[in-house]
Order: sequence, then C-alpha cells, then structure tokens
Amino acid sequence: MYRYDEFDTQFVKGRVAQFRDQVNRRLTGELNEDQFRPLRLMNGLYLQLHAYMLRVAVPYGTLSSRQLHKLAHIARTYDRGYGHFTTRQNIQFNWPRLKDVPEILDELASVEMHAIQTSGNCIRNVTTDQFAGAAADEIIDPRPVGEIIRQWSSIHPEFTYLPRKFKIALTGAPNDRAAVKFHDIGLMAQQNEQGEIGWKVLVGGGLGRTPMIAKTVRDFVTHEDLLAYLESILRVYNRYGRRDNKYKARVKILVHEEGIETIREQVEAEFAEIQGGVLTLPQEELDRITAYFAPLEFKPSNATFDLPKLKAENPGLSRFVMLNAHEHRQPGYTSITISLKPIGGVPGDATADQMDAVAELAKAYSFDELRVTHEQNLVLPHVAIEDVPAVYAELQRIGLAEANAGQITDIIACPGLDFCALANARSIPIAQEISKRFGTPEKQSEIGELKIKISGCINACGHHHVGHIGILGVEKKGTELYQITVGGDATEDAAVGNILGRGFIAEEVPDAIQRLVDKYLGERANDNETFIQVVKRLGQEPFKEALYANG
Amino acid sequence: MQMAEMIGAAPVRDKLRALGIVALNGMFDENDAESVLRTAADELLTGELAVVSSFGADSVVLLHLVSQVNKDLPVYFLETGKHFDETLDYVETLKERLGLTQVEALRPSNADLARFDPNGDLWESDPDSCCHIRKTEPLNEALKQYGGWVTGRKRFQTSERGVLPHFELTSDDRIKINPLAYWGEEEIAAYKAKYDLPEHPLFSEGYKSIGCAPCTSAVAEGEDPRSGRWRGLNKAECGIHFDFNGRIANPVAAKHLTLFRDGKFIDDPFKEFEEGTDPASARYVHVPLPEFLAHRDAYLASPHPLGLLVSPGDKVEDAAADLKRFASIAIKFPAFTDGRGYSSARLVVERYGYTKEVRAVGDVLADQIPLMRRCGINALVVTHDATRKALEEGALAEVALFYQPVGATEVPAGTRPFLRRAAANQ
Repeated sequence: MYRYDEFDTQFVKGRVAQFRDQVNRRLTGELNEDQFRPLRLMNGLYLQLHAYMLRVAVPYGTLSSRQLHKLAHIARTYDRGYGHFTTRQNIQFNWPRLKDVPEILDELASVEMHAIQTSGNCIRNVTTDQFAGAAADEIIDPRPVGEIIRQWSSIHPEFTYLPRKFKIALTGAPNDRAAVKFHDIGLMAQQNEQGEIGWKVLVGGGLGRTPMIAKTVRDFVTHEDLLAYLESILRVYNRYGRRDNKYKARVKILVHEEGIETIREQVEAEFAEIQGGVLTLPQEELDRITAYFAPLEFKPSNATFDLPKLKAENPGLSRFVMLNAHEHRQPGYTSITISLKPIGGVPGDATADQMDAVAELAKAYSFDELRVTHEQNLVLPHVAIEDVPAVYAELQRIGLAEANAGQITDIIACPGLDFCALANARSIPIAQEISKRFGTPEKQSEIGELKIKISGCINACGHHHVGHIGILGVEKKGTELYQITVGGDATEDAAVGNILGRGFIAEEVPDAIQRLVDKYLGERANDNETFIQVVKRLGQEPFKEALYANG
Repeated sequence: MQMAEMIGAAPVRDKLRALGIVALNGMFDENDAESVLRTAADELLTGELAVVSSFGADSVVLLHLVSQVNKDLPVYFLETGKHFDETLDYVETLKERLGLTQVEALRPSNADLARFDPNGDLWESDPDSCCHIRKTEPLNEALKQYGGWVTGRKRFQTSERGVLPHFELTSDDRIKINPLAYWGEEEIAAYKAKYDLPEHPLFSEGYKSIGCAPCTSAVAEGEDPRSGRWRGLNKAECGIHFDFNGRIANPVAAKHLTLFRDGKFIDDPFKEFEEGTDPASARYVHVPLPEFLAHRDAYLASPHPLGLLVSPGDKVEDAAADLKRFASIAIKFPAFTDGRGYSSARLVVERYGYTKEVRAVGDVLADQIPLMRRCGINALVVTHDATRKALEEGALAEVALFYQPVGATEVPAGTRPFLRRAAANQ
C-alpha cells in the first residue's frame, strides 16, 4: 500500500501545525465560532449534539495494522473506547475534546493518517471498491489513481471553498461496489477500442434530499488527462454551482438544472484550455505511485473451499465462508469481510480491543492490510484460504464473526438522533430491532441478499435511497416516523427507491419489514431470485399492497 | 481659443477632467511659469487654488510670481515648530516685500504631538513619522477646501522629480500646479537678480534646500540641491508630494492603511467605485466588470488610471482582451466561504497572462490568504484586525508544501517532481 515519503510527512505535519494554531486561536477567542467553523470542518471536526466529532480519513479505504492499532489507541485514550466506521470509508470519534484534537492529529500523522478534507465544502476523501487490488473481476487496481487524486485534491487552493462538499469515487471493476453513480464524480475503469485503460467519467450523482444518478460526461479519459479533466469539472462547478441555497448547491443540482449537455459543453471547453498543461500526468509518476501497490508475494496455492465438507464439520464457518468470503484474483486466496453488524449491535462501531485484534489478524494473515467498506464493515483483503478457519476462530473470540455480509442484518445506518444534530429520528435503534427480528442464521439464509439502509433525516447519510429496502426517519408533529422505500440499488444498475406510503412509528417498523420480506418470499420464482430482482420484475405495487394490507 | 471656452463653467474640476490633464500640459512654453500660474488661478481653479511654500532657499521665485498674479492667493507655510529662526524671519521679510495678504501658518495638531512626539525628538528616531504629523497631516486638512495647489518643485532638484509636469492630477482628486517644473538653477538665479529678490539668510552658507532645522544640512558644490535634506537617511521627500506609485512615508497612519502589497501595508490610491460615475471621468476606481462591458468604448478611451472589479458570477472571459488596460484587478470575496474568486484569479493570471496588481477585496481572512496567493493574488485589502496582525508579523498559519501546480508563477517546468513542491518564499 502507499507509504508516505518525506514530502507527504512534512505536508501532514504542516497541516497539523496549522490546525493547532487555529484551535489555539479559537480557544483564546481570537476566532469566533462562525470563523472557526469552516476551518475546523476543513479538518474533519464537527460539533454534534453532545460533543465534537472528529472524522479521520481512510484514503480509498485502505489501512495497515499499524494504523488500525493507532486508531484503537486514540479511541482508548481520547474517546470512550470505540470508533465508528462510516459509509465514506472513514472512521469517526464521537467524544474528543477540542483541546485534545491537535494531539490526536499528531498521533494520526505518526502513522501517515490525517483528517484533511473529511468535511467542509471541499473535495472529500476519495473512496473506492473495498476489494481493490484483490477482486477477480477488476480491470485495474483503482488505488494508484485514487492516491493521485488524493494528492491533487489536498488543500487545492482553488477548490477549498466550493458551493458544497464534493465527493469522488472510483471503481476498477465493472461490478460497482463503491456506489460511484451516487457521487459528485464517479469514475469507472474502461478499456477502449485500442485496448488502453482509462476512465469513464460520470458527474452529478448524489443522495441527500434530492437523490440523483450520475450522468456520463465523457466515455473515456486517459490516465494522462484525468487530473486536467477533473480540474475542468471542478472549475465549472466552482464558478457556476448554486450558492444561494445550500440544499441546491451540490453539482447534481447544477447538472439537473443546466442539463448534462450544457455541463459537458462547459467542461469540454475548459478541458480544451488546460489539456496538455501542467496537470498532465506523466507515466513515470503513475508508475511511481503504482509501484506502492505492486502485487504481493502470494504463496502458490490451489486451495479451495470444500463447502460440503465444511458444512458437515463446522456449519458456522461454512456459512461465514459462503457469505463473507469474496473471490480473490489470486488462486488459493480470498477476501474476508469482517462484519461490524453483530446482531442487535450498532452498525459500524468497533471497540478499541476489537480494532487491536483485527489489526493483529491483518498482520498475521492479510499482508498487513485492511480495508474499510462503504457498507461500514472491515475487510481482510488477502487471506490464504487455508488460514480462514484460524481467522474465523479469532473473530468469534472478539465477537465479530457474524456471517451476514450483504444479508438483511448487514444494515447501513447513520448515527441518527442519538448523535447527530441534523437528525429528525433515531436510526441505530431501528437497525438493532430489525437485526434482532431477522438475526437467526436460518432466517437470513432463507431471505438471502437484501440490503437495508437507514437514514435519520433527509440528508441520507444512511443511503436509504439505494437500499433494497430504505428507511427514512422523519419528524411529524413531534413524533418520529419512518418512511419505507423499495427498489434502490447502489451498484452499476443504479436505482433510487420509491417511497411506498405513509410512515410508521418506530415500534411498527420490524413488522412492516416483515410484511415486505414475506411478500418477497411468496413471490420469488426460485431460491436464487433476490429481493431486488423481484422488485425490479414486479414493480413496487405488490409491496405497497403488502405493506399497507392490514391498515 | 480661450482656455475658459475649452473648460467651460463650474463645476470646474469635472470639466478639467473632461478636458484631460494631458492636453493642459502641452499648452505652455516650458519656462512660462507665469502663464501656468495665471491660468490656474484665473481660469482653471478660480477661488479653489492655494499655494504651498516652505519659504526656503528658492521659494522667493514662486512667491514673487504669485504676487504678480494675485497677491490675495492663500499661501500656506508649514510651521512645523522645527524651523530655523532664519526661516521664520524670512517669512515676515517676504510677506512685507511682496505684499502677500493671505500667508497662513499650518501647525501640527497638539493631539498628534502629545501622542507621537511628546519629547520633540521624533525627528531623530522616526523622521518619516515626524514629517507626517508635522507636514502631511496639517496640509491634507488645509487642502480639503481647495481643488488644487501650487508647488515650487522643479525637475532638476532630484532624479525622482525629473519627470515633473506643469499639471498633475493627484489620486485625491486635486490638481497640483508646478509652474517652475522646467526651471534650472540658472533661470532661478537670473530671476532673483532681475527682480532683486531677497535671499534666504542661510542660502549663502551653503544651504540649497531648506526644511526643518534638525533635518537640513548644507550641501557641497556639485551635490543635488536637496541632498542636504535628511542627509544619511534613505529619504528624499517629506511625504506631502507622494502619490500613486510614490513611496509612502507615513507609518504613523499605518492603522488606516488597508492595502497589503509587497510585504507591507501601503497607501491605496484607489477609491470605491460609485454608481453612475461618468466613464470619461472615472479614475482610480475599480470599475465593476458589467459596468465596464456596458460602456466599454468610453472606458477604453479614457486616459485615466483604472482598475477592474471582478465579482463572483462575473465572467472574466468577457473582458479578457481588455485586461491589460487596467492598472489593477480586484477580485471580490463577498464572504470568505464564496470561493468563486479563486477561479477568477487563476483565469486572470494564468489564462490571460495579467501581470499587474491582482487584489483580493471583501472578506479577506488569514486562513484564506495562502490560498489566494497561490491563485495569483498579489495584493490584499484587509480590515480584519487579527488578519492584519498576522500579515504584518508574517505569521499566517499555512502549509508550506503544495501537491498541485497552480498559478502562473508556481510551475517552473521540469524543475521538480510532478505536482509537489515547497512554497516559494512569499
């Protein structure tokens, strides 16, 4: 994985010193909260319901064991002993004290981490496929380009006060696991007719109160031109994006209001001016960064999972392998998803002890490497198949062996009203109740792949628009109500779910989900047809009827 | 053609501007000082003209001319409180001999003296400030009521004065008249002899230019006549004659200066643009870009110094071909969270190759300044106190390493690894 050189180290140290000065100026009163807000936000520091929250970047979701140990240490020393992994492949600490934040940033810098641009109206942490560099279906490992984008976007002087936040996601595989079509810019690796590899560029996707699927602005951009092309899009957005209304300030609104043709024209005109200029990415630089992600020294192995045998000997492990192991490009290896969705637990939370233990697993079994997924789980990307039983045993010991990746209990949920100042309703308790209702292995096996995503307000941090079943918390006359959508899809077959009807109070939600699940089970053509496939085949009507059948 | 016809009736100054100072300067023989003065007093600035004299070594020539033209013209003498006794005597001598009726001494304000020079030794520690409170401030105050003033400056006195014209339009909207601009030492000596004018008592002792006693010394043969002023200091002017592009010597007033350029706060010749300004008479203002486009021909025809104001939402492309006409471009940041100005600045500097002053105006705060500079902004109008302090102390919190090339000056091609380098020294 990428390692900081002297330059990167000094850069991050410089940023920490700058922020330390800003914090001091806030603490002495030289800066008022209005002036401090954009500065702290630029460094990932939010003021939440109860306390400051610090969001730490995990660039393109990749961590070393040393880094995860450090995150554990921070959770233990400066927070309440846990951290929360987010849908943007970041980690949040919910209880730091303002005066400690510079210290925390120093600690992070010591392991090549930072909180730069994890919030604020700037280019946010770039995200990608959690199986990057490991997945069998990959056209190209997206991480080198992800790292180059990280560097290009770090304290970019022109794009630090954009109309609104700006998120870039990329996928090197045709099967999109990074939800790129719901980002301000989505990049999908492509091979053109000449056999060159480059990027399809999509713009204007997003969730929030106005969900939009990104539109293609250009079918193919070479690596060489990519930064100039991104800069062109950002410049058009910075100049013409709306600033009169923060709810209409994302690039998706600009694309929607102006039309993709107009935006394409403006971007292409800008690109024509700067193409071939200083942002042209030299092959040597791409090679230099790519070398950090060179193929690992895998042991030659023909090991495969013998599922029938496993099922007989260790049904738990067999379920775990079926659900949480992802196909690796290297024979004899697999990628293991560590679910942070224990039945009845808080989605995305991990204790300091769990982080330490997972870090040790990464060191022992996964070439010292870890990933954070946008579905709020962790991944050991490169595990030898013969090591899986040992990994599983250790995960059982620390309470993270839930075999539910992609299942009904693998729920994305935002922090909701329990933490967030913006929320209208609680999310976490809803996720916990659903998790308990469907938590047995038998029920989950019967239902199969079904993604539930819960947001506590229309800002949609819990991605409810793209849940196969989405749950949106709203507040009506002092009561928390939950609206239910079906048909959302975050993958390359992107779709936004439709609201089925009136909302439910919290206690009614598990029953409501039960009715949808029952309807699906009754309608599916065979055991392999998934929930989303049935919704796409039948439309939402049957589900709406089922949901409201009994009043 | 009569001058009065050319410039018409009141308001005199507007007509003057319409006529253009350039034309006036071509109208007189170089050494025809009396015509210059008479025209100014009788036709251009009737009732709006004052004379400023040091009553120094050469002053008698100008004052004699004044007496020939109009003995009732107001004549101001900067009574700094630091003059030689001989100078004060000379004032009385000349008043009497020339029959001047309106000689008035301007004195520094007691408040300024008490605050900045309680012991009377400021000249020693900070001569710039001393001149400022004893000369510049009192004169500025007195001149407020006038449309123009007459000086005795001459081209030959110093190399800086070598381009002096008869008529100058100053940035504070006044006309400075220099009837003796082209006179040399010979003409002065001949004039004195012709009218048998009394010399300053110290002239014969080698004082060729006489100011306040502590800061004036005699000059040797062959030296600049003014070289005896502030001898040993890097100072040649007291400050009353500074203007746009001049060196500004008033640190006492630094608290009022908001334009930060080249490492310090300096006097800003530009004023706020006012709605409805006649394009032909606008000067030392940043013309809003839409206003410029609406009256493009008129602005391009104007000979006056102008700036261009680019607000968020303005497209600098629309004025790309005309940018070089402007002495300064102001990029407006109405709120520090509005980042459109960064793009405008980069386009102005990088795409259109503008190399003169690009200033940030509006909500300019310490934490944005490093970004502004990287985007090509080289001057800042700053009112926020903490930011001013940080700038003056060179204590901006910034990250001194850059990943991405930005700005025309940031990209020494081929001299660094792709994208990354340390900040240039600001």
